[in-house]
Amino acid sequence: MFVLRRLSSALPTLFAVSLLVFLFVDLIPGDPAQILAGPTASNEEIESIRKFLGLNEPLLSRYGQFLRGIFDPSVATSFRTHRPVVVELAERLPNTLIVSIGGLAIGVVLGTLAGIVCAMRPGGIADALITVLTLAGISMPIYWLGLLCIWYFAVNLGWLPAAGASTPMHFVLPILVIATRPAAMFSRLVATSLTESMGRDYLDTARAKGLSETRVVLFHALRNSLIAAVSVAGVQFGGMLGGSVVTETVFGIPGVGRLLVDAVSRADYPVIQYAILMFAVFFVAINLVTDLLTQWLDPRTRDQERLA
Amino acid sequence: MRNLRQTCCNAALLVGLSALAGQAQAQPAGVLRVAVGADPATFDPAFNDLPVGNAVDLAVLEGLFRLDPQNNVEKSLASESSFSPDGKIFTVKIKSGKKFSNGDPLNAEAVAASFNRMLDEKTGSIYRGLYASLGTIKAVGEDTVEFHLSEPNGHILMLLASTAASIVNVKSVKEMGAEYGRKPVGSGPYKVDRYVGGEGFKLVPNPTYAGDYPATLKSIDFIVVPEDGSRMALLETGAADIVERVPPESMAAINALKDAKVVNPPSMFSINMEMVLRGPLADAKVRKALNMAVDRDGIAKGILGGLGTPSVGMVGPGTQDELRKTFPPIAFDPDGAKKLLAEAGYKPGQLSLSFTCPTGRYIKDVQVCQALAGSFENIGIKATPLVVDRGTWSKVIGMEPTARTDNMGMVGRATAGMDYTLYRLFFTGVGANRTGYANPRVDALLKEGRAATDPAKQKQIYGEVQEIVWNDQPFLFLWYQTQAIGVANRVQGFAVQPNETLVFDKVTLK
Repeated sequence: MFVLRRLSSALPTLFAVSLLVFLFVDLIPGDPAQILAGPTASNEEIESIRKFLGLNEPLLSRYGQFLRGIFDPSVATSFRTHRPVVVELAERLPNTLIVSIGGLAIGVVLGTLAGIVCAMRPGGIADALITVLTLAGISMPIYWLGLLCIWYFAVNLGWLPAAGASTPMHFVLPILVIATRPAAMFSRLVATSLTESMGRDYLDTARAKGLSETRVVLFHALRNSLIAAVSVAGVQFGGMLGGSVVTETVFGIPGVGRLLVDAVSRADYPVIQYAILMFAVFFVAINLVTDLLTQWLDPRTRDQERLA
Repeated sequence: MRNLRQTCCNAALLVGLSALAGQAQAQPAGVLRVAVGADPATFDPAFNDLPVGNAVDLAVLEGLFRLDPQNNVEKSLASESSFSPDGKIFTVKIKSGKKFSNGDPLNAEAVAASFNRMLDEKTGSIYRGLYASLGTIKAVGEDTVEFHLSEPNGHILMLLASTAASIVNVKSVKEMGAEYGRKPVGSGPYKVDRYVGGEGFKLVPNPTYAGDYPATLKSIDFIVVPEDGSRMALLETGAADIVERVPPESMAAINALKDAKVVNPPSMFSINMEMVLRGPLADAKVRKALNMAVDRDGIAKGILGGLGTPSVGMVGPGTQDELRKTFPPIAFDPDGAKKLLAEAGYKPGQLSLSFTCPTGRYIKDVQVCQALAGSFENIGIKATPLVVDRGTWSKVIGMEPTARTDNMGMVGRATAGMDYTLYRLFFTGVGANRTGYANPRVDALLKEGRAATDPAKQKQIYGEVQEIVWNDQPFLFLWYQTQAIGVANRVQGFAVQPNETLVFDKVTLK
């Protein structure tokens, strides 16, 4: 029921996004026909390409065409490749998801472990070291870290390939680089909320039951700390999809982010519009999943739902 | 007796072995790995506008004519060609027995179909306008194609030799739709075997190829890596044999490698500030002063890291060298420039100019614009560089001169042929003439030159046009780009055309 209600409330959001995406892309400076025709083209040649691309149609009918493309992918084709945009996206999406989900998963695991270590021994050497690394992880721009890693692991040590996506080994470096951001965020988050809940009464109750300290931390304290973390993970995942624009360019991974960059520089409107719309759908889905997870982790939110 | 038999045996063995060796040499061998910076998106010659796509089309498709590594026209599918006496019909005889890689015959009908497809409005080709002068194309019998030109055109060979005029298998285009852009069916020495969007693609020998440039490599593997640093890393780690577009700052590092070097072939890309010939820039003295104010050598060495040569003519090297004329470089003379400005009636600080520059379209474009602003300030001009994104830039430089609010725009020109370049840029009122240049003498010459089929006459006509343009200075002439490609030492026989097309005709690996 809750899922259905949330889904139906997402529809207006998506409709607004579709309108915004369409209008904003239309406002991008530069005429796709002129960019395709090149700087030496004459006005008549540009006009003929414009006509071919359907850019002379009134705004409303082009928007209608854009909406139609969502249900009938064969009418939504790229200006450059003439293939349906959905085919272009489907081809690139797996790579983007592998890197984002892999990076998030590894980051969450590493970050949580680091957070637990910090919370259990606050002020220790491990805590200090992790705090420094965390700060570095949050502050370092991904593209810079990526280039440094390519230089060290690929050029200097020769362990991993520098760029591309043809073998699983190609994904190791980008996933690890991507993982730094969520790892850093999570270690801070988990450490803070664990330290906060460590002094709570219910943990004393658990200890009084005779549970080991590890069990107390992992099954009682951590579960409560994760509630905030889940929401952050959702936001992080969304951020990663957006960040794929940078990572995929640095590591030469053919993902949706790179497709989007190429499309923007060549004014390939349909690809830009549908790619952004797809990202918007992902954001809505992620938010939904985050809410569901929070409800599962925190029974209080469920009660509130029932009351409301 | 036994000895004799043994000798015979040995001899036979030797002959056999050497025969084998001979065969092994002719067989394609080795895998060439090429890292390129731009994702080609499509190999369909009707839509491709990237050098990477040109390189693939040159290897996978064949045209009636083709360009050699110096941009000289040579025959490809054509065996002979001639103009009708009135210059209105151009007849090409094609080599017989040619086949597309899928076995379809490549005859006169297929050639005509390929051209007519490009010229069909419904195809939406970005080259339809450029090739419109070909008129209608008819197949006569099995091996003769007639171009019924819409106007006499003495430069048709230049048009036909471009990869944009490669012959596509129209039947396959119909069957495959947009997929044809990824796996074009042609008659060239290679064919596309695998294409992963944005990641790379692989060329393998075309077994049905019959021609002068049989495949020498077992495969050519392309990988697309847009980030310069990452692409260079591929050459440094030995994961690529050829890397496109070495940035100036990486040249020394690549040259220091044991197994690779940077090659610097010339490029026909001619980068200039194209002036809007209105207001102050309508005055030839001001234009001359601007041209004298710029230290081209300093820009080429200091900013472009050597990847540029100061201009000595409007068109770049490789633009029909037989017709090209060069002039002494314009001297860097700020004092002379100041004097000229004073003669034109401008006191220091009285003249202000703005100019539009793209970001990341040409090597170091933004830095050059800042340097130019400095040069203009130096002779007492208030200069405002307008550095904009590519979309805005393409819009500004595509505007009618009367609609422009700036005074100049940085544009690079690299176009097929003298006629095409000069006619489009300098004929009065032509759609692509964005400076507003108008010179009746030039108009007359360009008209005459277009119809002229005699090379000697063309040379004389275009020599004069180039001289007039060079002296009129409708542009602030800057530099010709120099290419920089990282090539591993094991690569032999690699060449690059001045239009930045990689040529794999004779590449072998050590």
